Amino acid sequence: MSSNVNNFVINIATANGTGSQSANLVILQTMFDMGIPVSGKNLFPSNISGLPTWYIIRASESGYQAPGDKTDIQILMNKDTWDKDIAKLNPGAIIIYNEDVKLPIDRDDCILLGMPMTKMARKINPKMAKLMANMYYVGGLAHILGISLSDIERAISAQFKGKEVAIEKNMEAINQSLVYAVENWSTETDFSVEKRAKNPDTYLIEGNEATALGSIYGGINMLAWYPITPSSGVAEGVIKWIPELRMAKDGGNTCAVIQAEDELAAAGMVIGAGWAGGRGMTCTSGPGISLMSEFIGLAYFAEVPGVIWDVNRVGPSTGLPTRTQQGDLSMLYEASHGDTQHIVLIPGTVDECFEFGWRAFDYAEKYQTMVFGFSDLDLGMNKWSTEGFVYPDSPMDRGKVIHNQEELDAIPNYGRYRDVDGDGIPYRTLPGSGVDPILYRGTGHDEDGVYSEDPIVYQKTMERLRRKIEGARDDLPSPILREEENKEIGVIFYGSMENTITEIDDILEETGLSVSTCRVRALPYHSEVEEFISRHDRNIVLEMNRDGQLYGILRKELPVSLIGKLDSVAYSDGMPPRARLYAEKILIALEDEK
Amino acid sequence: MTFVKLNVINLEKSEYKGGKSSLCPGCGHDQISNVIIQAAWENGLPPAGIAKMSGIGCSSKTPAYFLGKSHGFNTVHGRMPSVTTGASMVNKDLQFIAVSGDGDTASIGIGQFVHAIRRNLDMVYIIENNGVYGLTKGQYSATVEKGSKKKKSIANEQNPIDLCAMALNLGCSFVARSFSASKKQLTALIRAAMSHKGMAIIDVISPCVTFANNDESYRSYNYVKENDEVLHIVDYISNFSPIEEVDIPEGQYREIELFDGSKIILETLGSTHDTTDIVSALRAIHEAEKENKHVTGLLYYNGGMPTTTENLGLTETPLAKLSEEEGRPTLESLNEVNTRFRSL
Repeated sequence: MSSNVNNFVINIATANGTGSQSANLVILQTMFDMGIPVSGKNLFPSNISGLPTWYIIRASESGYQAPGDKTDIQILMNKDTWDKDIAKLNPGAIIIYNEDVKLPIDRDDCILLGMPMTKMARKINPKMAKLMANMYYVGGLAHILGISLSDIERAISAQFKGKEVAIEKNMEAINQSLVYAVENWSTETDFSVEKRAKNPDTYLIEGNEATALGSIYGGINMLAWYPITPSSGVAEGVIKWIPELRMAKDGGNTCAVIQAEDELAAAGMVIGAGWAGGRGMTCTSGPGISLMSEFIGLAYFAEVPGVIWDVNRVGPSTGLPTRTQQGDLSMLYEASHGDTQHIVLIPGTVDECFEFGWRAFDYAEKYQTMVFGFSDLDLGMNKWSTEGFVYPDSPMDRGKVIHNQEELDAIPNYGRYRDVDGDGIPYRTLPGSGVDPILYRGTGHDEDGVYSEDPIVYQKTMERLRRKIEGARDDLPSPILREEENKEIGVIFYGSMENTITEIDDILEETGLSVSTCRVRALPYHSEVEEFISRHDRNIVLEMNRDGQLYGILRKELPVSLIGKLDSVAYSDGMPPRARLYAEKILIALEDEK
Repeated sequence: MTFVKLNVINLEKSEYKGGKSSLCPGCGHDQISNVIIQAAWENGLPPAGIAKMSGIGCSSKTPAYFLGKSHGFNTVHGRMPSVTTGASMVNKDLQFIAVSGDGDTASIGIGQFVHAIRRNLDMVYIIENNGVYGLTKGQYSATVEKGSKKKKSIANEQNPIDLCAMALNLGCSFVARSFSASKKQLTALIRAAMSHKGMAIIDVISPCVTFANNDESYRSYNYVKENDEVLHIVDYISNFSPIEEVDIPEGQYREIELFDGSKIILETLGSTHDTTDIVSALRAIHEAEKENKHVTGLLYYNGGMPTTTENLGLTETPLAKLSEEEGRPTLESLNEVNTRFRSL
């Protein structure tokens, strides 16, 4: 790295429930507002209070958003992780620590900057000393990085909007810590910030709230949800925005929200809503998808629209509930017993969380099937930069719905499950319309929806369902390709890896390789993915799981002649992807192949 | 010229019939299907406005055998209440008539049963309760009484789940028990349930002729006939023909007005049961249980409870029928939303 201006990684070690998140977000927001390319990652435990938590802030002039491979500035507030946090540091790292923890730091090779944070906080507000103490590292950081008080004040005012006393007390704390740092710390440090011109229309938002807003603009009529980390923010986002965005003229709201008794019920409610002609959605994580699987098969077989967002956390089982992974992809694609195949939309940015949030309903109603949105903890629960969401560019697609007898009569040889148009998508009528009433069922049924165990009828139904979903392939979001002239190496990836891929690509190209990238944005994958693979000599499928789930899907569906061009680099430890780690694994895979 | 009897919306009873039943001849469930047809016809419900819901099992097959002009959904095992909830949220104008069994409701689906009641979902929830899993060849279900014995097996040794007692404890707004062979009582109760706004639970003892119609079974025809503790004679008076249908009893009776203006009259038969008192209802259930009897009639009624859709403050138009403008906020609103995330 050429310069330490706007290029550094801060690691803040605190205990969960001590209110450090306010202080962390103040730092992030201050730097963001100064135009510094910055990203923040919250590594938190499955716990309300007491367990260790880390917040990583990375400033990167190259716009890199991965957590970074080493820590430049370490904040030490938590006695439980004190020694481990210290041991991980490279020589030369700056350590800002709370002297009141009263633990030794045996590192002559680091720059030690102590401050009696709790003691100082106690003087301002004895009852809130534990919470206030965090603001002292904000001031300490401001001092060594050269951030002005007025820049911090703007972020503080936004963070504690409307709470004048809190604004005043926190500013007092930050002011005190700045004075302390000036008087007691050396002024010479390697790292600094510089303001950059910034588009005023850039915003920071969490992926989950972006998804929620997308669904609000997608006309969601019913949200059924069961609380589960890391997906709850999607539901909370919908609930937050309904009063402002989804009230009808008569003062009633246009989206029902039900906190379900479990994920099974939530999935059932989505299917009920879709069957009755509404736009139903739920949001969950892997364990919830496991529970919903029976219902997902019903939606597939009875052809009922619905939307499920999976914000992936680490599995299997309860796994690491507050860590990130791309471990649910193959489950989503083939969820439920028997032969099934589902549409999966895979956003890689908050803008796509919004876009796929509304598009998911159109796909669900068009194809009369369950559509998944596939996000993850990293994308969903961290704040990312956007230049503002783009309004839907097409009217809602409500699919092939027959509303009255006249429309029904216009369709020759109508049957609920008859493929009249040759695209595998039949027409449907809605309960309450009185038009062609049938009994929907998860049992075998013929083209008119009548119970059937006939072998030919069953086999034909299954073939038509396959044709229907196959037909969606090139209608779904196409991959994002960044191609080099020389088609040497192709890296195929998806989802939140988007935020690390530029850095991975730069590291690989430093070794002299020519690397193209292809970000898959939906399953079944677009035909452009296959074309990309065939154009490149070698293709690495890069993903955050153990088994190479997209790799497996590609191997199953690609022509045999292309399979030899594929290699899998799959790795997951729960952490957001660090560029160097994945880049090195790619290099090893390429080496092995030679 | 043949005389055709029409209901208040000028439909013949045949308009409410369904397909041919594939259940065992003599099954209690078929009796209940016929009563549902009769009740819907007598109440003059428009078939298009009805949604038939069910789970999985013998009972859950029956929506194919009644109300053929109504949409229906034969969902998955024990999960009918959640599908009904979703459908109700986006179209609150549908009249939900749901059928479930004792396996479907009291075991795999007990969670959804409980929570649908908590929400006071606006639906008629009929449990066709025979104490066995018929479709998987006669295993005991969770509602079978201690000491009851099916055809092939030792007597049941586990405590039963009484779904009416459970519904009462959960604050259900309409709780009744009946017997599939008591056509008059069951018709009046189902008609009343159709006129009720909110959750109406009707637990109907419905003998399984194949696996548990032996005399040692507490749910056989013979046993129930001899051990039916009838709380009161129930008569239903519709809101459109208040005088023609029923003779007002001369003895003691109570009159209850339902949501749609129709009424039920309970001729008390000397019983002291009070349908507005949950404790009285629970006492009636437990006292009958002590003597291995079945108490039937309207156990509890509370007409004033708000339903889920009312509590949610939804707009008047069913959500599934909203226009695009009503469902998608404007471009201007999105521009405003975007600026909210800007801190400066």
